[in-house]
Parts: sequence; structure tokens; C-alpha cells
Amino acid sequence: MDILLGIRTQNEVLLITSRSLARGISVLKSDDVKVLECNKHTALAFSGEPGDTTNFVEFIRANVRLYGFQNKQELTTHAVASYARKELATSLRSRKPYQVNILVAGHNGTPELHWIDYLGTNVTLPYAAHGYASYYVLSTLDRWWTETLTLEEGLELARKCIDELEKRMPIDFKGCNIHVVDQNGVRLHE
Amino acid sequence: MSNRYDSRTTIFSPEGRLYQVEYAMEAISHAGTALGILAKDGIVLAAEKKVSSKLLEQETSAEKMYVLSKNIICVVAGIDSDASTLVETARKMALQHFATYDEEIPVEVLVKRICNVMQGYTQFGGLRPYGVSFIFAGWDSSQGFQLYQSNPSGNYTGWLATSVGANTTSAQTLLKQEYKPDSTLEEACDQAMLIMSKTMDSSALTSTKLEFATIKASSDGAEYNVYKPKDIEPLIEKVKSTTQ
Amino acid sequence: MDTVIDQLPKSVDAAAALPACVNGLPNFEFPSIDTPSAFLRAFTDDASNPDVPIKPQHGTTTLAFKFQGGIIVAVDSRASAGSWIASQKVKKVLEINPFMLGTMAGGAADCQFWERWLGSQCRLYELRNKKRISVSAASKILANVTYHYKGSGLSMGTMVCGYSEKNNTLEPEIYYVDSDGSRVAGQLFSVGSGQTFAYGVLDQGYDYNLSVEDALTLGKRAIIAATHRDAYSGNSCNLYHLKPTGWVYHGNYDAAAEIWRLKEAEGSFNDIRTK
Repeated sequence: MDILLGIRTQNEVLLITSRSLARGISVLKSDDVKVLECNKHTALAFSGEPGDTTNFVEFIRANVRLYGFQNKQELTTHAVASYARKELATSLRSRKPYQVNILVAGHNGTPELHWIDYLGTNVTLPYAAHGYASYYVLSTLDRWWTETLTLEEGLELARKCIDELEKRMPIDFKGCNIHVVDQNGVRLHE
Repeated sequence: MSNRYDSRTTIFSPEGRLYQVEYAMEAISHAGTALGILAKDGIVLAAEKKVSSKLLEQETSAEKMYVLSKNIICVVAGIDSDASTLVETARKMALQHFATYDEEIPVEVLVKRICNVMQGYTQFGGLRPYGVSFIFAGWDSSQGFQLYQSNPSGNYTGWLATSVGANTTSAQTLLKQEYKPDSTLEEACDQAMLIMSKTMDSSALTSTKLEFATIKASSDGAEYNVYKPKDIEPLIEKVKSTTQ
Repeated sequence: MDTVIDQLPKSVDAAAALPACVNGLPNFEFPSIDTPSAFLRAFTDDASNPDVPIKPQHGTTTLAFKFQGGIIVAVDSRASAGSWIASQKVKKVLEINPFMLGTMAGGAADCQFWERWLGSQCRLYELRNKKRISVSAASKILANVTYHYKGSGLSMGTMVCGYSEKNNTLEPEIYYVDSDGSRVAGQLFSVGSGQTFAYGVLDQGYDYNLSVEDALTLGKRAIIAATHRDAYSGNSCNLYHLKPTGWVYHGNYDAAAEIWRLKEAEGSFNDIRTK
């Protein structure tokens, strides 16, 4: 039920993630952050099986950083996404596959968004969502997203999506964090 | 004196030297000359072919030039069979990188990894070092055109122009004279040919005794060209006409 | 006369008492079957087979929260194995060291074993680094283990609580760690079958600026509330207060006695008649 939503605008990528963290029938936390800064210009948003999620993204981050240290140049967002996809695809045929879905957002000169699921599907998209949330917001995004959105327009569109989710999702997700990835790096909006 | 410390690669001599590594470098200094020149729009590699016979099939037996990936080529000085296995390793590394990251391997990343392999053979018991020096020429999006040279110790260095092999001292002298920072690839090719003509042991410069390759800018990054003997001929003619 | 050394049992080999380590994690011999968790379930799940030989303790209420005066940790003391009350005075707060507490919910054996193991890891950290381990690091060690054994049948929900040095000041920290491999930092948690009942009282009475006395009362009150409604929690409440100087035990309170006392004092628990 976690919400993962990515919107590419003209100069940045927005990552919208729900703040609720639930186990069983209880909400354990209502200020959870489901986004991890992978390197300076790349962020991962994640959802899926508890335990697998943090373990997987921390593993990816560790290897991306190691590559940066060893080779004195950082992996591009495209490379990070390909690498994460490869790890998920390899894991899928292992004894205990990672059940993790991710969005990879980054900015290497131009903003870039990748949608990757636990099966190892990697697609580059202008806007993307995982889970039940996608059934509500994809139509909203299809209707209002354009190639030339400014940051303000992007945030406005994100607000539209969150409004819709608050109206129709059967479970309270305790609001959303919005992360902005632009040429200056990754930051939490507001 | 030295024979107590040179039978194993892993043993330092009292003077702090690794004789096997030095012997490997010695082997290279007898190999045919090879050189590389970095130009602003590409890189040229040239090499002297030691074996040459009328009966040798020219089209199929390129000996020293290898393509490692879409963006990296190299020339070899030393034991060809040693080079061959390293080239195979390098190609696998490059493909592995492409398969994982969907991007060509950056030049220095590949050079460093090959050199790490070579270093291992100077340290772990019972093995002999690779008797090979490489000159790597490549392009990547973050660093552009790059020229590196490696040696059997596992060290590598970046160059604007460099050479290895038999007549490397005279080649280096000529490179220092001829090198111009802003030369185009075409000019660099002429310089390379000129230096080869002056340093090679044989009196007459022929396409059977030469190998030649370039890497240059293209619409999607870089493209390499390993010359066929018939493509080398015009370059030889050009040098002959200018020197006469 | 025997010396003290001679009196120690000679047959116990301390090193052999712990399983061999692989990558710093204790390594267990698994039964040679496909899925260890299914194998374990066949022997422990009394819902599918009432005659199962092993019945792990399950029902529990535990809670911990941060406030201006430190951290309050409160737990119940019932060990149930299915409908059977296996013990009425279980210690569900595990004293990892004088500055760190771990709570216990889920499999009692799993929690006890791993939290005691965690205690030894924390001590080793101290010896190696000449400083106390942070709660963040300690909980990460535990989460790494639970993630490593994910899917093989571990059952635990624990809160690792304590003070850690951050920018030269001691800060209180609570981490929730469970057998899924989750590790979550937070202000207030309740874990176990009675968690919902504890949350019901805790959330309504919670305020960061609570006095120490009020905070202790609130922690205890929430556990009592859970013992009243959750059949698998009960008997008594153990109360702890964590301060920068270490933890302080605030006693054991009989649940039944507390309920009668509270009914009188608060005018609450009106679902039951006066004695």
C-alpha cells in the first residue's frame, strides 16, 4: 500500500512517497522516509517486503559509492538504474529473491526517471508509479503532465495526485514526502 | 649475485628489487616498437611487426592491435600469448561493465582493472609476471580521449604521446621533438608514421612490417579503425614523399 | 580445599557454547530440508496440530517511548504458549548493558538468545573501540542478523533503547527491529499482540514534556490496559526508566492489583464491577 510516485519536470525529478510505515494492523511511524540518496545526483525511492527494501537499497548505495571511490568518477543515473535492475534480475532466480520495487531519479545534465520492479523490468519514463497508487494517479498524470513543466507546475501536479490519493485510497497513508532531484542534488521539499 | 633472489616473483632482493618483474620489462624492451599519440580529435597507435614473411597471411594476422570494446583499443609489446589472455580478460571486463551499467566502460576503469590483474602476478607465489606492456587508447564521455601505458609491474601512466619496445629511447626523443599539443588526428598519423620510419630496424618501410590503428570522434562517442595493409600504403607513401 | 577456579565446571567449553561464526554472524546448522520455516512450523504451530512438541511463547505487550526525561520502557510478564500460560513472571526487558535495554516480543528463545548475543557484541565493540556502541549501531547488528536469518522461522519484535553519543552529547534513541529484517527509528513504539490496546492509552496520554513521574505512570497504565484486554498479555508490568547515566528499574506491578487500584483512583475500568 506504500505510495511511490515519480514525476519528471523540465529541470528536475520529483519523488512523492507516503509517510506511513505500518506493520500488521498498526501504523508504527507516520514520518517515514522511503527515499535514499544513492550518490550526489541520484535518489532511489523504494517499496516492498519489509527488510528486503532497506537491505536492497543500502546494498545498491554501497556499491555505487564503492564504484565512485575506486574509479574516481560517479556512476550516472542511467548506470545506477541498469545496475539495480541487474541485481534484481539476478536475485529473481535465487533462493530468496528481493521483493523490492524502486524508482530511480537523477540529474546528469538532464532530469531522468526510471521505473524498476522486482521482476527486473527497467523503463525510462516521464512519470511513473508503483503499487495501488498507480491506479489512481496515472490517469491524472496522463491528463496534466507535459514536457515543459516548471518546478512549481510539477509540485502543483504532485499536489493534484496526493489530493486524489487522499480522497480515494482506503487506507490513510499519513501524507507524502516530496523529494526534488535537480542539478544541485537531492533535497526534501519544504 | 642476483640469482638467489630472481627465481621467484614474490621475493625481494636485499636491494629491494623484484628481479622477475625487471626481467619481464627487459623482455619487452626487445619487442617491436609501438607508439601512441594523443591528438585533439582522436588517438593514433602504430607498431612494428617483427615477424614478417612473404607467406604470412596479412589480412587475418593482425598481431599487436586489439579492439577491447567499442571505445577502447590497444597495442601490445612483449609476449604475444601473454597479451592474448589479458586482452581476453579485458574484453570480458568491458562487456561485463556494459551488461551491468548499460554504458561503455570508462577507459581508466578498464586500464586500472587490467593492471590490478598484472600486479597480482608480481605478488602471489609460483607465478611469473605477464611479459607485456600495453598502450591503451580510448574515449569515454567523462574524460574524452585518453592514452595510457602499462607495464608488467602493474603500474600505468597517462600520456600525450608514448612508446614501448626495442627502439623506445629514440622513439621517445622523436616524440618529444615532433609532438604538438594542438595537432589533428591526421597530423598525428603522419607524425607516427614518420617516427616509425626513423626508428624501425629495417631499412625500407613496408605495410607488411607495420600495424596501424586510430580511434576518433563519431556521432555516438568514438569509433576505432584498425588499418588493413592496403590502408597503410598511402600513409607510407606520404611519409616517403615528404622526407625525400 | 578447592580454589575458586577449581570449582568452575570443567566440562563447559565457553567457545563451544556459541555456534561457529561466519562473516561475524553465528552460523547454525540447518536441517537438510527445503524450507526451514515450513519444517519449524510443522513442529511449533499448534493451530494446525494441537500435539506439536514445541510451543513458543507468543503473546505480549511491550512499549517504549522518548520524552523530555529520557526513555520509558514498560512490558507485561506473561508467557503464553497457545492457550497455556507458561509463565507468569517472565522478564521481557533484557538488560543488554547498563545503558541499553532490549524488549522481547515473539519467540522468547529467539529474543533471549539474540539479545544476549547482541550484548556480547556490544561488549566486544567497547573493548575494541574503547567507547560504548551507539544504539543505532547495536540495532543494526541485530537487524543484520534477523535479515540474515529471514525466512528461516525466527520470530521476534524488539525495541533496542538507550543513549548514544552524538556530537558530544548523549541522545536517547529507540529502534524497532523485527524478524522481517526491519529496523526503524522512532519516538514511540508498542510491540506485541496487545500493542493496539497499549497504543490506545499511550497515544492519548503522551506528551514529550511529561514529567518523569507522569511518564512512568503512563507507561505502566498502557501496559495495564493491554493486560486487561489482551488474553495473551498479563500478570504484571515491569517498568524501566532510561537516563543518560544508565537505566533504572522501577519495579514490578501486579496487573490485577493495579486494575482494582486504578478503577478506584481513576473511576475507570467500568466494564468490571467493584469487588
